[in-house]
Amino acid sequence: MTTEKQIALSQPSEPVSLEVMINGEKYRFELPPTYRLVDILRKTLGLTGTKISCEVGRCGSCSVLMNGKLVNSCLLMAYQIQNAEIETIESLSKDKLDPIQEVFLQEGALQCGYCTPGMVMALKALLIENPNPTKEEAIDSLSGNLCRCTGYSPIVRVIDRLVKV
Amino acid sequence: TDYSFPGMIYGRILRSKYPHAIITSINVKPALQLEGVMAVITYKDIPGLNGFGLIIQDQPVFCEDRVRYIGDAIAAVAAKTEEIASTAIKLIEVAYEPLPILDNPEDAMKDDSIHLHSSGNILHRQTFDHGESIEGAFSSCYEVVEETYFTPRQMHSYMETEGGVVVPEKDGGITVYAASQHGFKDRLQLSRILDLPEELIRVVSSPIGGSFGGKDELNIQPYAALLALKTGFPVKIHQKRSDSIKAGLKRHPMKVTMKTGVNQEGEIVAHQARIIADTGAYASLGPAVLDFAVEHAVGPYMIPNVNVEGFSVYTNNGVAGEFRGFGGNQITFALESQIERLAERLKMDSIELRKKNLRKENDPGPLRQKIVPTNSAFTVLDKIQESPILKKDKSFQGKWTLRGTGCALTMHGGGLGYGRPDSSGGRLSLNEKGKIEIAFGFEEVGQGLIASIEILLTEQLNCTKEDIQITIGDTALVPHSGSSTASRATNMIWQGIKELKRPWSRLMLEATSELLNIPIEQLSIGPKGIWNSEQRVDANLVITYKELANQLEVLPSITTSYHFPTTPDPVVGGHYLYSFGAAAAEVEIDRLTGKIKVVKIDHVIAAGPVVNPMGYLGQIEGGGVMGLGFALMEDAVMENGIYQNENFDTYLIPTIKDIPLQTNVIAIETLSKGDEYGPRGVGEIGTVAIAPAITAAIYDAIGYWVTKIPINPEDILRAIQMNKIRHSHVK
Repeated sequence: MTTEKQIALSQPSEPVSLEVMINGEKYRFELPPTYRLVDILRKTLGLTGTKISCEVGRCGSCSVLMNGKLVNSCLLMAYQIQNAEIETIESLSKDKLDPIQEVFLQEGALQCGYCTPGMVMALKALLIENPNPTKEEAIDSLSGNLCRCTGYSPIVRVIDRLVKV
Repeated sequence: TDYSFPGMIYGRILRSKYPHAIITSINVKPALQLEGVMAVITYKDIPGLNGFGLIIQDQPVFCEDRVRYIGDAIAAVAAKTEEIASTAIKLIEVAYEPLPILDNPEDAMKDDSIHLHSSGNILHRQTFDHGESIEGAFSSCYEVVEETYFTPRQMHSYMETEGGVVVPEKDGGITVYAASQHGFKDRLQLSRILDLPEELIRVVSSPIGGSFGGKDELNIQPYAALLALKTGFPVKIHQKRSDSIKAGLKRHPMKVTMKTGVNQEGEIVAHQARIIADTGAYASLGPAVLDFAVEHAVGPYMIPNVNVEGFSVYTNNGVAGEFRGFGGNQITFALESQIERLAERLKMDSIELRKKNLRKENDPGPLRQKIVPTNSAFTVLDKIQESPILKKDKSFQGKWTLRGTGCALTMHGGGLGYGRPDSSGGRLSLNEKGKIEIAFGFEEVGQGLIASIEILLTEQLNCTKEDIQITIGDTALVPHSGSSTASRATNMIWQGIKELKRPWSRLMLEATSELLNIPIEQLSIGPKGIWNSEQRVDANLVITYKELANQLEVLPSITTSYHFPTTPDPVVGGHYLYSFGAAAAEVEIDRLTGKIKVVKIDHVIAAGPVVNPMGYLGQIEGGGVMGLGFALMEDAVMENGIYQNENFDTYLIPTIKDIPLQTNVIAIETLSKGDEYGPRGVGEIGTVAIAPAITAAIYDAIGYWVTKIPINPEDILRAIQMNKIRHSHVK
């Protein structure tokens, strides 16, 4: 019984036409309305800078900006991003690294690097909204981003430097 | 898991529905009929050995007639999309007859328990005895403390779940792009399973989105490989977090009963430990982890009478295996808690008690084996004693919070230990592009290995980082180096570069000398190329590496192999090189909720010279926070063999809000005279002493001994309330 129900639920629905700006370029897709943004990024466009880890909105690895605000791309479906403007980690380092990325490198605030794009996007979102955050605010802004390698200490040092600048 | 290849399809693995059952039938037809499904495979599709495991291959790739845990694989599907693959595995019909579940190692040890493996349920028993009859020794003691400690089934929680792509090649072989800590071992294991010669398998095992020991064992590789060979297409499998939790390794939950006795002067006279480790359904590195726990049961203390017995027991729980600290974390939590309790009984400062019993420079190791002389136990303890955390003033109690401080000490073996193949190899060459190429079989897990190699090599050869090229983690390009585990890689690259430097430099200079007709004595290796150092004042570059590579017919290349330093005493698993660590912690306990916040941690680490300061700091800080999670929040709870956590929404790991904002790391780099073994690895040591330092701080704050971690705030709250009652009685 339950098996049948689950399968019925996971049957893809009819594709919808979707228009969305991603990293400054306009795209048009025909996709099931429930297709996730993270899959559009990683699978359709090959933008693998955005990572997947928990897929329930807990870890922040898939963080991107939608209309300048931080979102989990694993929780957004195609129909929710109609006409939206999406920015991923790839948009930050076209010519040179973003200052946030520079400081991450200098402070050794990444080890395996898997959480880093999400961390950087979360800080980016904060600085867009609030160019002069306090240390406390900056730490709060990363509370939805998990990192297993660094123990966050070097990320706090990144924050110290960004807050000072 | 970021790789894509033309024609790539997606795989998914069907795991068991029950923790213990007989499989009566498997019907894959409904899945095969789904549009977009390219292949469905079961045990029938394995050409070679249906088993894997780093040491003992007792874990089936696919179960045939019986499942032993909830992560057991039964079938796998390849389909055009991930969505179709996910739907297809639900269509596979498996009929089970459930069997009784052994979810507790002590039940599993009983004689009348159902056997999970033909050898019985005890995977491994290890003992260590020293001195006279332990009972006699206890009877002469002034104080004896006996307690049982429990540690959790901690999850590695690497952010990147297990995954990768296997690409079928034209020659009938495969290329495996999947993160792991030992590419050559993966190749060997895959060769057995696929019945394919090792030469036809190339494993690209680096880089890795975190591992901490959890990806040393095979995970998705066999399934993706079987599906790729069957379909002829590249197959990607990237496990969902829930599959990763079910199937992935965990830290061994241990129950440690310890009895420790001292005389009136504070000298530990007798020490007994009984360890029961829940290794889950299959062996993995269960025996070695237990050996390590038994070895470290006395820690850095010289105790005349010792009796340790440990069991690693099969159950229907999740498979436990290698995890940063390797059994040391569990046993150290118990041992250091004992020390604190004894100090309390003796009304003695716990650091002074430690010093009375600490190993001295030339003392033997914990298994009484010969080890490299070291006085670091004293050095780190002296240093942690100076930590400002431990010099608190009395006025620091808050209105709603209680504060306390504590410390702990540990000693941690590096390398795999006596009797275990622990060799390594490296290659240094001038390549066609004119780069000095160094190749090792190690993997970059995020631990900073590449940076360490770069620093060591440029330092040793006096060249620049632009001159060199580092090649790692690809079985097609590198020599055998053994695993990137056991805090061994740093020491191994140091040893490798040291061994390679002289003969390779000689080859380079000889070649240059012949080519340019300059006496070899005048030449030296330097930045950008070979220098003529005849006139010391203005030495000049005589040829760049690039020109040299263009002009030479045979490029200088040296390959070496060597062994991790091992104790000469035949004590299986016994180590030769040890690192030392001490930690001090300050905690703040909420009087209303019992919640514990660690506000400060200081680490003192002695592991030889620091190669890569940023990497070193990262290992200790990161390890410390992992230790904090172990102490305060992490446990992959199982009930009746079923994981109660499916994701990071219930399995909580520390966030940036949970960490001590004040963390200091002090590295002690000095080695004893004559110690030529260089830098020790620091991948594990930072995790080990944190839990007991935190629980000592909790005792300091509220007078409650934590015996089970992760610490339950309710227990803390109850203890605070009990305290109040006790205090009011006194009044």
